[in-house]
Amino acid sequence: MGAYETVIGLEIHVELGTKSKIFCGCSTKFGSKANENTCPVCIGLPGVMPVLNEKVVELAVKAGQAINCKINKINKTDRKNYFYPDLPKAYQISQFDMPVCSDGYLELGDKFQGKKVGITRIHIEEDAGKLIHLEDEDVTLIDYNRAGVPLVEIVTEPDIRSAEEAYNFLKKLRNILVYSEISDCKMEEGSLRCDANISIRKVGSDVLNTKVEIKNMNSFKEVHKALLKEEKRQLELYRYGEEHKIVQETRRWDAGKGRTITMRTKEDAHDYRYFPEPDLPPMILEKKYIDDIKSSIPELPMKKMERFVRDYGLLQKDAEVIIDEKSTADYFEDLVLKTKDPKESSNWLITEVLRSLKEYDEIPVTSKQLSELIKEIKSGSISRNAGKKVFDKMCTSDKMPEKVIIELGLKQISSEGELEKIVGEILDNNIEAVEDFKSGKGKAFGFLMGQSMKATKGKANPGVLKKLLEEKLKK
Amino acid sequence: MYSVNEIKKGLEEKEFSTVEIVREYLEKIKKKDDKIKSFITLREEEALKEAEETDKKIASGKKLKILEGIPIGLKDNIATKGLKTTCSSKILEDFIPPYDAGAAIKIKEKGGIILGKLNMDEFAMGSSTENSAFFDTKNPWDLERVPGGSSGGSAAAVSAGFAPITYGSDTGGSVRIPASFCGVVGLKPTYGLVSRYGLIALASSLDQIGPFGKSVEDCIYGLKGVQGFDEKDSTSKDVKMPDYFKEIKKGIKGLKVGVPEEFFAHGIDKEVKEKVEYNIKILEKLGAHVEKFSLPITATGLSAYYIVSSAEASSNLGRYDGVRYGVRTDEYKSFKELIVKSRTEGFGEEVKRRIMLGTYALSSGYYDAYYKRAMIFRKKVEKLFDEAFEKYDVVVSPTLPVLPFKLGEKRSNPMEMYLSDTFTVNINLAGIPAVSVPAGFSKEGLPIGIQFIGDKFREDILFRFAYALEQEIKLNLNPWKEGR
Amino acid sequence: MKVSRDEVKYIAKLSNLEFSQNEMDKLIKEFESILEHFVNLEEENLDGYEMYSFDEKSLRTRTDEVVNFDNRDKLFSNVKKMRDNCIEIPKVVD
Repeated sequence: MGAYETVIGLEIHVELGTKSKIFCGCSTKFGSKANENTCPVCIGLPGVMPVLNEKVVELAVKAGQAINCKINKINKTDRKNYFYPDLPKAYQISQFDMPVCSDGYLELGDKFQGKKVGITRIHIEEDAGKLIHLEDEDVTLIDYNRAGVPLVEIVTEPDIRSAEEAYNFLKKLRNILVYSEISDCKMEEGSLRCDANISIRKVGSDVLNTKVEIKNMNSFKEVHKALLKEEKRQLELYRYGEEHKIVQETRRWDAGKGRTITMRTKEDAHDYRYFPEPDLPPMILEKKYIDDIKSSIPELPMKKMERFVRDYGLLQKDAEVIIDEKSTADYFEDLVLKTKDPKESSNWLITEVLRSLKEYDEIPVTSKQLSELIKEIKSGSISRNAGKKVFDKMCTSDKMPEKVIIELGLKQISSEGELEKIVGEILDNNIEAVEDFKSGKGKAFGFLMGQSMKATKGKANPGVLKKLLEEKLKK
Repeated sequence: MYSVNEIKKGLEEKEFSTVEIVREYLEKIKKKDDKIKSFITLREEEALKEAEETDKKIASGKKLKILEGIPIGLKDNIATKGLKTTCSSKILEDFIPPYDAGAAIKIKEKGGIILGKLNMDEFAMGSSTENSAFFDTKNPWDLERVPGGSSGGSAAAVSAGFAPITYGSDTGGSVRIPASFCGVVGLKPTYGLVSRYGLIALASSLDQIGPFGKSVEDCIYGLKGVQGFDEKDSTSKDVKMPDYFKEIKKGIKGLKVGVPEEFFAHGIDKEVKEKVEYNIKILEKLGAHVEKFSLPITATGLSAYYIVSSAEASSNLGRYDGVRYGVRTDEYKSFKELIVKSRTEGFGEEVKRRIMLGTYALSSGYYDAYYKRAMIFRKKVEKLFDEAFEKYDVVVSPTLPVLPFKLGEKRSNPMEMYLSDTFTVNINLAGIPAVSVPAGFSKEGLPIGIQFIGDKFREDILFRFAYALEQEIKLNLNPWKEGR
Repeated sequence: MKVSRDEVKYIAKLSNLEFSQNEMDKLIKEFESILEHFVNLEEENLDGYEMYSFDEKSLRTRTDEVVNFDNRDKLFSNVKKMRDNCIEIPKVVD
């Protein structure tokens, strides 16, 4: 069996985080009542004309710079002509041969040996409306709220070699775009959509074989699954010498059925008859404009991660987890500022804080609350276990740890005097265990610790208790 | 009936009221337009109400705007809020825009009173107004002949005295051609001088709204009523234009006139050629320097024009599918059927022909040979005109190679009709301004127009020439045999 | 300049128009006559000329702010079939 490799390219559509649409002043707000955010321009009434939103250009240039692209000083829009009910003008204003950005790359990170995935281009375009197909009637309803929402289309080179690489690429891209405040990238709200092109070839070949387009993947996990499935499908055809059965087509990913299904073949492919948009003169971007945007990009995830490892001494794998969401990374730094203890801060973040995000949309405990809690634990006033209970309580209240500790009666007993008495009692009441320990059975120590802890209802400072017990047992 | 100045003077001196003037025009339309058929829609009630408001304004002594109280007609491809706008097409026969075109807003702001909407070739495709889905408009000078197109209704209305100012649109000659045929003044402004927002597009890179008037001064009022920057149109230019009324008083002494030989070559009607050459001699008499030169763009220009305009039109007309507006076919089982049948039933023959031609010119395999080449040719035309305007202040030609022809005469073959545009299309390709001015009449009394072409934003020069000629030849431009 | 029937059929499909046999025949003849004229464009010397010159001012843009259309009630008044504030059409199969 000759070795085969998978060749994947991605086409990602990202909704830009602007207040108004690309060519008119309608709101881009998600979740509005049907056709509430519309006007003559975005529903394509006769005689209307587009006026470009400056923020769209800004964010597109920013996106290009965030993924190392060349910004094309002169770029223009073109009309892409086709008929579909969600396309009001029967053409989409897009960019064809002179897009705003080209020739960039995105690094996949250590796990992939810092592999760079090439970015062919980024261009701006307008989104179409939404179709609602009724279940039990032969009717489709059209909602134009989304028509005219600004998009950038990011196209990668066919550099991706596995479903896993694709998944990672998407996560990294999303992170960069969220960090740069270009988009909120919520696949569930449609502000990030991904189509993939996948083909197979023999390792060592530099020819591209027939590629298949996959659509309708609604989450990064689905992209991963769909690509694995399609890769398997194509590989099997190659294995049985039936690779000619792979045709250039578009296949729909059916999450329910767990497979890809033919949607349309090349014969139905559109002739888009691109030509320059006559209603919009070309854009000529000044160097200062481009440079100013570059300086406005905040610290991106990779750089932040490197800095966390370097300046806070974090483990790479921990840093990777923390920078995954900008909000989490910002919280972490705020916590470090307050606690002056990066290690403790990162521990708490990776365990309790991230766990809480499974239940809550935002981190439910303020950095001030958590920093105080960490101080309490460090001072020995409560045990780490008790600390977890305090954290849980603070998720639903804005009380400071001091108060919660008192309320829950969690104050740790650290006084040697108090503990000594208890240890003494335990030893007196468990002579067998003491004998066992003295005759070399180490487990007995654990048992005695457990009993002592129980006697204090878990409030004993374990460190102090251990020390006292050791001392007493030596005698 | 009246010139704009006469109306303004009359209102000021309380000779008549706005209501009386508007009523007089409306009465004339109702009495005589059944012969001409220039109007599609009249808005009597609203116009009279607005006239009342204007009278109140005059009485209160408030400062009057430039078009205050002036009755206006608009070609039916200019969107008017709450008033049917059809483009003379079945597919839009019941379309009521919820918004006003940029030009309409300016007219209203300047006090103009819109009387109604005027007939045209369907979607502005045509040179004779015979392609209207509703009815043919007649030439007031000879009711068996065409008024020219595509703004035939607008030109005929001014000629017939139904309004002192009307507006049409010019993509390849659609203001200048009917102006020439109907014996009125018609201007195509520099591309970008007048807002295209709300002008239902034919060819976006060529269209401009242009005014008609019986006199040059009326035409100037018309231009002043709509020119100027509009933020809703991204191709709208913000250029300060001179005071045309002041400029026209300067005359044309010492100005240089270029006469392009190719525009007087074979194919041109003998009477048209002679009349225009005669008028050029008058320009010389008035002090202008006249010189012949070569401008070899007519034949290729026509091809480039029809390729570009059809291509852009095919895209602009894609939205007419019966879904959000316009006529929906009666029977349809699928979305595909809905749009194919609505379009096939709703569009006229010429429109369908040009959509097909345009789609062909843009389609894969033909884009380079047709659309791209035509767009490159435009640069050549621009450059040749630039060079001409370095030597000359104005370039002059006949507006058309033919006299007003009979209804039905040029229907056998589309190319025949397209040839009428030979002298006008290159002006649109270059984006420069041009005006057609009445030059005289043929032996049979049919109007002949002379075209003045100028450099970008040099409407002032055009008006100077137009006015100088007009004042010198003083034609009787009343088409009605029985008087006003 | 010959044009094939298949070509014209394809263009009609792209344009979402349909023609009867007679109309198609007529259209083909007209196309050929028009395209015949367009040969002069083919023969024109265009050396030294480009499609774009990019010598005009950069595209004017607008500020990113929400401005609601002031006549939203009438926005859909020309639609023949509405339902639940949406435009209704026959079901579209992907």
